[in-house]
Amino acid sequence: MAAQSNPLQSSVKRSDQWSNLLVAVGETRDRAAFADLFKHYAPLIKSFAQASRHEGWFPGLNEDLVQEVMIKVWQKAAGYNPEKASATTWIYTVARNCRIDMLRRKSNTQHLPLENEDYWHEPDEETPTLLLQQKRSEEKLRESLAQLPKEQDEILRKVYLEGKSHAETSEELGLPLGTVKSRVRLALQKMQILVPAEFQDELTHEQ
Amino acid sequence: MNSKTVHHPETSMLLEFSAGTLETAASICVSAHLHFCAHCRDSLLRLDQVGSKLMEDSQAEPVDEALFASVMERIDRLEDGASEPDKYSQVGDYPPSVNKLIEADDNPPLWRRLSGSVDVASLKTGQKKFEVALHRICAGGKTPKHDHGGLEYTVVLKGSFSDERSVYSEGDFILRKPGDTHQPMGAQNGECICLSAQSAPIKLSSPLGFIMNNLLRINPR
Repeated sequence: MAAQSNPLQSSVKRSDQWSNLLVAVGETRDRAAFADLFKHYAPLIKSFAQASRHEGWFPGLNEDLVQEVMIKVWQKAAGYNPEKASATTWIYTVARNCRIDMLRRKSNTQHLPLENEDYWHEPDEETPTLLLQQKRSEEKLRESLAQLPKEQDEILRKVYLEGKSHAETSEELGLPLGTVKSRVRLALQKMQILVPAEFQDELTHEQ
Repeated sequence: MNSKTVHHPETSMLLEFSAGTLETAASICVSAHLHFCAHCRDSLLRLDQVGSKLMEDSQAEPVDEALFASVMERIDRLEDGASEPDKYSQVGDYPPSVNKLIEADDNPPLWRRLSGSVDVASLKTGQKKFEVALHRICAGGKTPKHDHGGLEYTVVLKGSFSDERSVYSEGDFILRKPGDTHQPMGAQNGECICLSAQSAPIKLSSPLGFIMNNLLRINPR
């Protein structure tokens, strides 16, 4: 009997164009692949930088962020695992961490011993079933994101793109904090990002 | 590590963690919980995907053509130099973010006696809103009944403890607010070590607590 590869594992490996390029950068330090990634992602990272409404952020930082993120991408590409996340998700997390760390370095009030990426410990083991759900949810995500009611979409954008906390969002929109949180919860439910039903009863959400 | 955690941070906290808007002390606690909880790591990855889709779908902003060349130049300079050594090494079997905090501190945190059965070691985090510390309850140790003056996040790192509501084991994430009165007790079978972040001192509930309460302070480092 021929050895079988794990069907779950093989079905979740990302093989989109960008993930392949990122793997090539990690494995062979492929500069042409890196140039292609740069062409695609640099404008998106700049847009992400421009969306920031953090106190202390100014337009001069936008291209600095692009540089920092792309250098980190080059340095860390070897640690990228296409079975865990798509290149876009991975690069988003690098951009998010860099954006926060740049802000912290500029602020004089916090001298933090850790960089944001230090909180991002990469767990090495994953269960294939969870990964499979992951992949499916990723495919459906864009579609369901586009179908969110405006009031939910608006809050997600404020939190992810502008970098506002729930409390800041509630202040800005003149909504009670509880309303912001429940809109977020509704949005996540619609996108099926919340805990799968079979786990629900195990959870004791602290309120 | 995947222990069977039962108590998790609420979804909105995970989302803020994913978006990078959660404050530092809370982020440290969430990150410690993630070390133990495969389930929340899975949720986090999905939440990260939301952020990445929002980024991907936003209007691309043209970048200066010289930028690529300047990035490659910096990369070449980096490659010429020695490869950057890992800033931190493992000091213990705490979650990595806690190990890194301990390692990054020039004055390594020391255990200090808080009561007959509880020791505390304050961690330097650079923010001033919360005192972040390790608490050690000895096996079977009883702590005084207390209320909370502010928010308190707790993550069990080793062993377990219980209070009137539940038993908390490795990885469990607990949020306490003013009005939540409890009396934690260490498990009989061994010491319990917790990571905690407090925005205000606890308030002892005993009749003589008002004397002690004036002495209780938090010391964010």
